[in-house]
Amino acid sequence: MQTTYPRIRRWTRVEYDRLIDQGVFQPGEPLELLAGQLVLREPQGDPHSLAVELVQEALRAAFGPEWRVRTQLPVALDDESEPEPDVSVAAGRVHRGAEAKPSHLALVVEVAASSLTLDREHKGSLYARARVADYWIVNLADHVLEIYRDPAPDPSASYGWTYRSIQSLTVGQHVSPLAAPTSHIAVGDLLP
Amino acid sequence: MSESIVRTRRWTRVEYDKLIDAGFLGPGAKIELLAGQLCVSESQNSSHAMAISLSLDALHKALAPRWHVRVQLPIALDDESEPEPDLAVVSGGPRDYPDHPSRPALVVEIADSSLALDRTHKGSLYARARLSEYWIVNLTDRVLEVYRNPGPDAGTPYGWAYRVVLTLGPDERVAPLVASSARILVADLLP
Repeated sequence: MQTTYPRIRRWTRVEYDRLIDQGVFQPGEPLELLAGQLVLREPQGDPHSLAVELVQEALRAAFGPEWRVRTQLPVALDDESEPEPDVSVAAGRVHRGAEAKPSHLALVVEVAASSLTLDREHKGSLYARARVADYWIVNLADHVLEIYRDPAPDPSASYGWTYRSIQSLTVGQHVSPLAAPTSHIAVGDLLP
Repeated sequence: MSESIVRTRRWTRVEYDKLIDAGFLGPGAKIELLAGQLCVSESQNSSHAMAISLSLDALHKALAPRWHVRVQLPIALDDESEPEPDLAVVSGGPRDYPDHPSRPALVVEIADSSLALDRTHKGSLYARARLSEYWIVNLTDRVLEVYRNPGPDAGTPYGWAYRVVLTLGPDERVAPLVASSARILVADLLP
């Protein structure tokens, strides 16, 4: 490939976990492994952290005790990705000996203020590639909830996959997670 | 992946050396630390390899014993860069460097497919480190590009560039800045 940019070394998830275990990173470094790249997370503003908590509460109520609703914890997305979504939902109760980093996710939610493009284009494509069926962006700038579903290949996307169905819901509307179809969450409850 | 959207973690040279010691970076693809990023080097074809041998020979003849020539070995360029130029000319002998040298008198890259990278990125990085002389043996055009006189230039990847650029054909001769009486025939560097 002819390129004027240096090709950056990519890390596998196994290597990334070894880097963490061996204390290579500074404590508290806001990192995620996205498609082999060590990507820095933006610092969180107040509306962002409040939205994360609102989403977490709403999803706990919607999914009930048989689901793990996890906040900003790593997920084993694929061989070269270990993101820490703002909120992620996986089947089953948490218990001793449970999978520390679930890989099968029923729903992933990112709260986006300044990170909107990253969350839409890069993370969206990455989650679609990993066949996450339901991906939401709490869009703080436009005060809407974006719902991404139906992942499919798309050569023009960052990682070759995209979501074919995109809905934008505003305050006053409701949403049901694909994996909890009988629950109805008010969009207004997710926005700070 | 567009660099403007994704901010990747940068590594310091100290961290990079720890990664090497802990066995994270080898064997396998050749890596260089360039401005905090772990960059994968292009693999070398036979003319690249021959050009290294030819240039090593020519520089050694012109510069020994006051200077010695290192081949694809690390340079402690700055706090976030540890490149491995194809050739680097440093004063004295190998035992003078218990740590990687940081200020080679001349660095040389052999370029075919890596030409744009060697010109823009490495050129800017070497200029930022104030290396006074940088050569590119340009295999595509069969010329030697000589870069001198580093200075700030906001339009470049690392904010510095070489202000003097000479392009020499096979029949021309070149003298490194540190050995002005030397007369190296450019053809002797080309496969």
